[in-house]
Amino acid sequence: MLWQLLANGFVNGCLFALTAFGFALIYNTTRIFHIAHGAIYTAAAYLCYVFLVQLNWSMPLAIALALFLTGLLGALTELLVYAPLERRGASLLVALLSSLGLYIALVNLIAMIFGNETKVLRPGVEATYHLGSIILTRIQIAQVITAFVLLPSLLIFLRVTEWGKKIRALRDNPTLTEVMGINARAVRLFVFSLGSILAGTTAILSALDIGMDPHIGMPALLTAAVALIIGGVGTFEGAIVGALFLGILQSLVIWQVSARWTDAITFGLLIFFLLFRPQGLLGQRRRLEEVMA
Amino acid sequence: MNYLWHILVMINIYIILALSLNLVAGYTGLLSLCHAAFYGIGAYATTLLMMKADWGFFPSLFIAILLTAALSLIIAVPSLRFKGDYFVLATLGFQIIIFVILYNWVSLTRGPYGIPGIPIPKVCGIEMSTVFRYFLFSGVIASICGLLLWMLKASPFGRVLKAIREDEIAAAALGKNVPLLKMAAFTIAAAFAAVPGALFAGYMRYIDPTSFTLMESVFVISILIIGGAGSFIGPIVGAVFMVILPEALRFLHIPDAIAANMRQIIYGLLLIILMRYRPQGLMGEYEFQ
Repeated sequence: MLWQLLANGFVNGCLFALTAFGFALIYNTTRIFHIAHGAIYTAAAYLCYVFLVQLNWSMPLAIALALFLTGLLGALTELLVYAPLERRGASLLVALLSSLGLYIALVNLIAMIFGNETKVLRPGVEATYHLGSIILTRIQIAQVITAFVLLPSLLIFLRVTEWGKKIRALRDNPTLTEVMGINARAVRLFVFSLGSILAGTTAILSALDIGMDPHIGMPALLTAAVALIIGGVGTFEGAIVGALFLGILQSLVIWQVSARWTDAITFGLLIFFLLFRPQGLLGQRRRLEEVMA
Repeated sequence: MNYLWHILVMINIYIILALSLNLVAGYTGLLSLCHAAFYGIGAYATTLLMMKADWGFFPSLFIAILLTAALSLIIAVPSLRFKGDYFVLATLGFQIIIFVILYNWVSLTRGPYGIPGIPIPKVCGIEMSTVFRYFLFSGVIASICGLLLWMLKASPFGRVLKAIREDEIAAAALGKNVPLLKMAAFTIAAAFAAVPGALFAGYMRYIDPTSFTLMESVFVISILIIGGAGSFIGPIVGAVFMVILPEALRFLHIPDAIAANMRQIIYGLLLIILMRYRPQGLMGEYEFQ
């Protein structure tokens, strides 16, 4: 029982890690608290639903097109909402409020078109695999494999490629980045697209397993944000570590307490970290003004 | 006619909520996302005291206000150490924790089943049993709250809060106790939020946790921002606008099935457009820094 729960927690943690990594790409570089990330997450699942179920296309085509459009949506968010604010020199709280507005508008648009009821991408019961005493469904294994392929590749990408270095430069010092002649706007567009595609990947993988409704985005976003803070804002590895930690913790809470208290525990943990370890598990200790600014 | 009075009751309730949030968000510049939690605590505390202890409306409300203020201190002490989006996130966390508690503490709050049959408030032996009476009743209470909040705003205390908003370090350098003042603003705002909670419970005569969600906090913030944070008239304009807007949609014969979504889409777009072109809101003087 314990092993099964840990395994489920780990699978969930892998999914959280993909969204959290997307959120981290955006938050670490732009410092925009991108609440609309949750709406983009939802949109990806519904785009996939349109192609896969309503238009009855093949799975790879449906997923690929859904992810492409999700990336485009992310880029549009930056172009139409955040970039004008950035040019005007608006504060980050103004960006946060715009993002909140965008979340509300997008999610309700989706709800208006598709209704509030749960939709499934694939009917029927999943094939299961037994690994010792642990039972995993096929889609759960696909979720773990996706995370195991994507996350290390992304970390390597950030470390060795030119665009990866540009992203890290923007994270470390936006002003200096521009002084060095790097097109910060292009990098921002890139992180918004890539981050959105990661959120979309999670959304589709999760929807294949448990279906979707218009409100799946908010918990996904909040988990991602909490994971990043627990792991360490400013780091990319931290998002992964924090997400796995949260996934396993939530599983243990379900086992020891009840599923109904998981949210309270997650946010209790967030406040605990903000108070006692604001730099997160992997972050470096910095002056309070730097961390909080 | 009852329809009109009903809208006015809701406007009164949201005016108190938005005006009290203005003290924290507008004057002090702290974007709090847990105002609906205080609203909910006020509603539940008043209801439970009226029903379990068989108290009258006003004594219950009085204790509910004290309780909400006390609970807000628990939230204020950790949250106020943060600035910017960390503060937003910490208050959001508390909003969710309070909701989970209201939802799951079934032996006290009946959780998702809600509490039906809440007694109607009485004033001097007169039951506020018609919508019109309730409109007058809520109007008087909203006016009293508005007057008190206006006096706070006009007082030296209100001016120090604005000073903190504009430049915290300068305020501290002038010898103002910034953490204490922020805490006072936060707690007073929470205490005021308990009042509309009680009004709502006594009016609806039924409460459940879904009236006090994160989205409700977001709604109150939207009222404040659309109306204009930091001005006194802004939240009032915002509350009138945001409560009337869905009713206006009803007269445009938009089908009920999509009206709720339509309304939310308009709120969302409005928030984006305002942030882009007029971040201080319709009437406001303050843009969130």
